[in-house]
Amino acid sequence: MQIKEVVSQKLNEKYYEIEHPTGLRVFVWPKEGYNSTYAVFGTPFGSIYNHFTAQGKEIKVPDGIAHFLEHKLFECEEGDAFTLYASTGANANAYTSFDKTCYLFSCTDNFSRCLEILLGFVTNPYFTKETVQKEQGIIGQEIRMYDDSPDWRVMFNMLRGMYKVHPVRIDIAGTVESIAQITPEDLYACYNSYYNLHNMALTIVGKVDVNEVAEICDRELKPCAEVDVQSHFPTDPYEVSEHYVEDKLPVAVPIFNLGFKGDASRRLSEQEIAYTDILLFLLASSTSPMYRELMDTGLINASFSYEQFEGPGYNSIFFGGESKDPKAVEAVIKKYIKKLRAEGISPEDFETARRATYGDALSSLNSVDTTANLTEDFFFSGRKLFDYFDAIAGATVQDVESRLKDILDTDNTTLSVVVGE
Amino acid sequence: MNSMDRKQIAQGVNFSAVSDNRFKTMKISATVLVPLSKDTASAYALLTQVMTRSCEEYPDFTALSRKLSSLYGASLSGGVRKIGESLALTFSVSGLDDRYALTNESISEELSRILCSVIFKPLLQGEAFNSEEVEQERRQLIELAEGEINDKRAYANNRLLELMCGDEPYGIRRYGTVEAIKGVTAAELYSTWRTMLNRAHFEIFFIGDSSADTARAVFTEEFAKIDRNLFTLSTDIVRSADNVREYEDRMEVAQAKLLLGFRTGCGGADEGVTAMRLMCAILGGSAHSKFFINVREKQSLCYYCVSRYQRAKGLMIVESGVEFDNIEKTKQAVLAEVDAIRRGEVTEDEINFAKLSVANDFVSICDTVSGIGEWYISQLSDGRLLSVEEAIAEFNAVTKEQIVEAANKLTLDTVYVLRGE
Repeated sequence: MQIKEVVSQKLNEKYYEIEHPTGLRVFVWPKEGYNSTYAVFGTPFGSIYNHFTAQGKEIKVPDGIAHFLEHKLFECEEGDAFTLYASTGANANAYTSFDKTCYLFSCTDNFSRCLEILLGFVTNPYFTKETVQKEQGIIGQEIRMYDDSPDWRVMFNMLRGMYKVHPVRIDIAGTVESIAQITPEDLYACYNSYYNLHNMALTIVGKVDVNEVAEICDRELKPCAEVDVQSHFPTDPYEVSEHYVEDKLPVAVPIFNLGFKGDASRRLSEQEIAYTDILLFLLASSTSPMYRELMDTGLINASFSYEQFEGPGYNSIFFGGESKDPKAVEAVIKKYIKKLRAEGISPEDFETARRATYGDALSSLNSVDTTANLTEDFFFSGRKLFDYFDAIAGATVQDVESRLKDILDTDNTTLSVVVGE
Repeated sequence: MNSMDRKQIAQGVNFSAVSDNRFKTMKISATVLVPLSKDTASAYALLTQVMTRSCEEYPDFTALSRKLSSLYGASLSGGVRKIGESLALTFSVSGLDDRYALTNESISEELSRILCSVIFKPLLQGEAFNSEEVEQERRQLIELAEGEINDKRAYANNRLLELMCGDEPYGIRRYGTVEAIKGVTAAELYSTWRTMLNRAHFEIFFIGDSSADTARAVFTEEFAKIDRNLFTLSTDIVRSADNVREYEDRMEVAQAKLLLGFRTGCGGADEGVTAMRLMCAILGGSAHSKFFINVREKQSLCYYCVSRYQRAKGLMIVESGVEFDNIEKTKQAVLAEVDAIRRGEVTEDEINFAKLSVANDFVSICDTVSGIGEWYISQLSDGRLLSVEEAIAEFNAVTKEQIVEAANKLTLDTVYVLRGE
């Protein structure tokens, strides 16, 4: 077994990368002086994977199945994993996003027992008709909870406005109707295709010893054959589907999301992600003239935010917040994008943005959970975490200006608004 | 975590330094306690917003943001919350530790200075705050207060407390009312600020690897110029409820929120608080609690059903999100679990698992910069400060009899339902 040490002198950080003989990729990131350990075991299978060919057989599954599978995997033949964790004191959980599902625990004691439980239940599925049915009530209430969340609704309405066919437009948990169709056979089909150690990753951060982890993996994991799976994503046109969508919910001030759809023909590099982060800070942070104008004219409040959103077959940039006049916000944002393109970036503004972006990124390594989840994210996206930090530190004005040429197409946007009743 | 160096630097002003080299960032926070009153809550909330927007040295938020961003994305934030029947105003700065600056500069000294400027040298026009700045923040605070309706879970919680504690200061919202926010003048803000400096209790925390000496000296010097005449802070703990009050609000929602507010008969510095906290954890504090196992897993009634002990005020709040048709059934299921503990139906496993879970949470908290400060601030109403180890030892000493006794102290005061038509 190969244990590789990955070091960043600048960040004063070091982790180990193990290619385990079972095919599992393992990252162990000891943090000196920490008293807790955070472990996350993930697979690149999220809500967008609803159509695939596995071992020569084409399969279509109901919307929301990745999330449903996440819930059901906690069930074991002898009870559920939460009960097993109970005697360790650990805090266990899981989450499903568009492109991955992750199972996690945070513990301060009994680490080896916790890791055995995690590896055990994730590699031993147990689905029956009765347990599937029981879960429909619980997840049904999770879906209802999100139905009442204006932030969630405004985002999915925007995604549906931007993407015509790509499954990123589908709610992560599906709908009460779609999950009613899920059968144990569907769950096994997904599990057998995507829950394969060859494409999964385990990350452990905090109080941890790399040799102990290797030893537990050797003991608990069984070799498994690689599975041939092709995921099918319909190619979305470059253009957005709708420029404006509106919905009604009980809210005080209208809520908006403005999405700039971009080219998603390939995944972005560490440099492209880093330069975009610096650019967004320059354009829209509280230091920017754009933010200033939006505030002074009473168009936004402190809830204003922005982010890059990128995954298999989708790539866009969002702005969001509360505003009495979202269309006016859209106009101001577009005005400043054009202005920045025409006038270029000043060296002083650039330096402030570079430093702030660097500080933000670095502080994310403070916490064991953020560090672990970032590590999984970067691995599944085929990117290297330390390269991202180096790209921020080494960025130049030209790098960021050149990035601006490729993104934030002001003719290719969707404005989604939720107004009060 | 290293030990805390806590000194009183003026009457009612404690400065605590925690030296810790594990983190990339450092943080200085001032938690400022004043009595919670309907006449002043809105003024204090607005004051906190205005004070963290600008100060004499950085007279508008763009200048202040730029200064902070140039310090590697440092941040300044302010907020208000209730701790029992005190209003706690928080002013904090955080940023990269000096070791991680890309050039040689002392970020921590700069940040200490900025926090002092914000607290002691705000942007004034004679004996009033700058009116333009006040109007900007007034609009935003109104939007923030009105925006509470967007998050149905938080909204339902606020409604419950407002109805349950309508005759007590605890029923006041942290921002007061929208009407009161509209009425606060710039001159009134000035006198509120002076009152805060003269009469509030200050808890200042410095957490990081750099020396706290400069910050401590600057704060000591500033407070030496001020005549201190401390507020008396107290919280009235209602020992039991005479009868159950039921309220219902209707709104366009997909899921009903059901909340049960109990009087626990003990809180603050009372004996029995630790047993009550443990009892509450057994009921609904984890994924192996009675609510999770019986209300969620066995009966599939909900996605979440949790209990929280607000020990400063001696309340226990149970909350869940359910189908409209299941409101009564869920309420009975919750009460059945409370009755079970009252009858002594609680196993050694349940008790031990809850103890382990609590210990796990406590130890984990101190693996983050913010968590270290929070650990102590959350104890301000307890009348004493315990270390993590001391607190865990107290929990471990709680017996089954004390847990049953705690459950028997509960009286149901108010049931609140938010539902659709």
